[in-house]
Amino acid sequence: MEDLQKLYDAILTGNAKVSKEVTQQALAAGSDPQALVQKYMIPAMDEVGRRYEANEYFVPELLISARAMKASLELIRPLLAARGAEPAGRVVIGTVKGDLHDIGKNLVAAMLEGAGFEVIDLGVDVPPEKFIAALNEKKANLVAMSALLTTTMNSMKTTIEAFKAAGIRGNIKVMIGGAPVTEKYAEEIGADGYSTNANGAVALARKLVAA
Amino acid sequence: MSEPVHIRLRPMGVDIESAKGTPLQDLLFSYGVEFPCGGHGKCKGCRVRVLEGSLPLSPAQEHMLSQAERDAGWRLSCQCTADNLTLELAQWEAQILADTSRFSFTPRTGFGVAIDVGTTTIVAQLLDMSRGEVLAVRSALNPQARFGADIMSRVSAAVEPGGRERLADVIREQIATMIAELLQAAGDPTRTVTDVVLVGNTVMHNLFCGVDVTPLSYYPFEPVSLATVEFTASGLGWEVPGDPPVRFLAGIGGFVGSDVLAGVFATGMHERAETRVLVDLGTNGEIVVGNRDRMICASTAAGPAFEGARIYMGMRAATGAVSAVRIEQNTLVCHVLGNVPPRGICGSGLVDAVANALRLGLIRAGGRFEDGGSSLTLAAPVKISQTDIRELQLAKGAIAAGIRLLTREFGVEPPAVHEVLLAGAFGNYVDTGSARRIGLLPFAAEQIQPSGNTALLGAKMALFAPAGTFDALAKRIAHVSLSELEGFQDIYVDEMIFPGGEPETP
Repeated sequence: MEDLQKLYDAILTGNAKVSKEVTQQALAAGSDPQALVQKYMIPAMDEVGRRYEANEYFVPELLISARAMKASLELIRPLLAARGAEPAGRVVIGTVKGDLHDIGKNLVAAMLEGAGFEVIDLGVDVPPEKFIAALNEKKANLVAMSALLTTTMNSMKTTIEAFKAAGIRGNIKVMIGGAPVTEKYAEEIGADGYSTNANGAVALARKLVAA
Repeated sequence: MSEPVHIRLRPMGVDIESAKGTPLQDLLFSYGVEFPCGGHGKCKGCRVRVLEGSLPLSPAQEHMLSQAERDAGWRLSCQCTADNLTLELAQWEAQILADTSRFSFTPRTGFGVAIDVGTTTIVAQLLDMSRGEVLAVRSALNPQARFGADIMSRVSAAVEPGGRERLADVIREQIATMIAELLQAAGDPTRTVTDVVLVGNTVMHNLFCGVDVTPLSYYPFEPVSLATVEFTASGLGWEVPGDPPVRFLAGIGGFVGSDVLAGVFATGMHERAETRVLVDLGTNGEIVVGNRDRMICASTAAGPAFEGARIYMGMRAATGAVSAVRIEQNTLVCHVLGNVPPRGICGSGLVDAVANALRLGLIRAGGRFEDGGSSLTLAAPVKISQTDIRELQLAKGAIAAGIRLLTREFGVEPPAVHEVLLAGAFGNYVDTGSARRIGLLPFAAEQIQPSGNTALLGAKMALFAPAGTFDALAKRIAHVSLSELEGFQDIYVDEMIFPGGEPETP
C-alpha cells in the first residue's frame, strides 16, 4: 500500500507530523494496528538503527526518528492494549543510582518501543528498590540499566545484588549499557548482556527474551 | 631477573632500556605519552606503530583498531609490554601556553609562584613581585594523567583504596619539582619564595588538597569542600627556600574551580556594567555569564576533540599537525605546523576543516559526508573520518548548548552580550570564523575576543590581591547544573547539528 510506505518514510526521516497523520488516516480506514507496527514501524526503526551503525545517522537523527515513531505509537498503543495484544517483552529501564545522563537511555527506550517492547521508563538516578518495585508491579521480564560514568557504574553491580537479595534475579534478564561498560564488566557483575549502542540493545533484548 | 630489552622511540630518537614484560604504559608515560581512557584499552589515544620487532594483539586492540591499522602495525601501548622494539608514537610533545599579559598591581617585596593546575597540563611562573616581572616559566604534563585523561576518570582512580593519597602525592611531587626548576632557571636556587598560589578545577583542587572526592563521583556532584586551603611548603614536604605559604584558591561550585574564578578576576568582567561571557574551551568546558551585579557559571563535558584526542589522526598542536585549513579555488588547503610533511591534525585544524567542508558542501548539516564516504583527505596522509565529525559534533554541541542554556538562564540573548572572552589554548588558536560556522559559538565575529591563559594571569594577580579577595568573588558567582535545566536534552541534541549553509558576513 503506497500510503503506508509514507509511514515508513516519515519515521526514517524523523517527520513526526506526517507519521502521526498517516497513522490516523490508516487507522480510520480500518488498517490493522498490529500490522502497522510489524510491517512499517519496526522495519523503519530497524533501518534507522542500521544507518546509525553505518555512521550515516547520528544521535540527532536517531532521536527525531524515535519521536516520529512515538507519535504514531501513541495512537496505536491503546488499540493494542484494548485487544490484549502481547508486546515483544516488558522492559524496565533507567539510569542507575547516582547517574543522571539519560540521552543514551532515552534512545534505547525509544528503539525498544519501536521494536514492539513495552517500556517502563523509570528515568534517572533510579535506586535498586525502585527497579524491584517496578519489575514486580509490571511483571516485566527484562531490565535495562545504564551509567555514563566510571564512578557511577558500580551502582549497576549493587542493583543486580539487590535483585538477588529480593529473590527475583532468576525471573528476569538484565542488560546494561553506557560509555564505560565493557563485556568483561558485564560478566563480572553478572549481567546477561551489554550493548555499546541503542541498535545493539534492541538485538540483545530480542535475544534475551527468546532465550 | 627479567631479560633486558631495548626500545627506540621515533620520531624523537629516544632509546629506553627496560626489562622484558614491563608495561609500556609505565615506560611511555615518562616520555609524555598520555592515556586518555586511563589505559583501559577503550580509546586509541596511546597508539604506537611497530616499526621493528613485534607486539601481539589482544582482543581489546582488535576491537579498537581497524584491520588496516592493525596491518600497518598500530597497537594500543596500554595493552602491551616491553620487548625489543622500535616504535613510532602517535602523540607528540605537549603544547605550552604561558601567559605574558601585563596587569596592574601594587608592588610587594619578594618572589611569588603562580601555578595553573590543568587536568592535562600544569603551567607555573616565578615572579619578582616588586616589579611584577615573570622571571621563569615551566610547564609539565599533569602526572595524574596516567590515571585517566578526564576529571571523572581521576575521581574514579581517587576513590579506589589508597587512590586519594596516590593522586595527591604525584601532583605535589610534580609541583615541588617545577618550583625548584623555576628557581634554578631564574639563576638562584636559594632565592627566598614568599608566596605560592595554585588554581585549578574542583577535581584538581580536591586531589591536591587531599579532600575526599567520593561525592564528586555521583549525582548531584557536590564537592565536600571548595574552600581556599592554605598549606606551608614544609607541611607538604617541599623544600622551598623561605618555607612560603602555599594556597590553593577556592572554587565556585560543582566542577567549576578557581581556574575559572581567576579567569573572571583577570578579565575584570565582575567589575563591568555590560554583560560578558567567559568560555574556557577544554575537555571540560566552563562558561560564566555575568556583569558586576550578577554572575552565573556552569561546566559541560565536551570531551577531548578540541585537543585532538580521540580523533583518528588527531594530535596536539605540534610539529606536523594540520593546524589551519582554508579554501582556495574551491579546494581545501592545509597549513602544517613546522614546515614538515603533515602527520596529524589538531583541534583548530579539525574545526577549520569541518567548517570549510561545510562551506564547500562536502559535509551536510547532519554531519554526514555528502558523498556518503567514510573519510575526507585533507593533505595526504592526513584525513578526517566520519567518526571524527561525530566527536566534534558532540564536543561543540556540549559547549554551544551550555552557552545557550546559561545565557537563557541569565536572561540575555547572545547578540546582546557585550563581549565573549575565549580562555585556554584552543580558544586562542581556533579560527573564530570557523568556530562560528560549525555552530560552536553562537555569536557575531566582533563579539568574540581570544583572551589567553586567563587562569594563570588571575593566579598571578592573586599574589598581589588582598587576602580574601578571591573568596569574596567566588561567593558572587552562582553555579548552575546544566543538565537540570529545562530542555537540556533537546537543546544539546539540536546543537549537535551544524547550522544551515546560509551566507555569512565575514
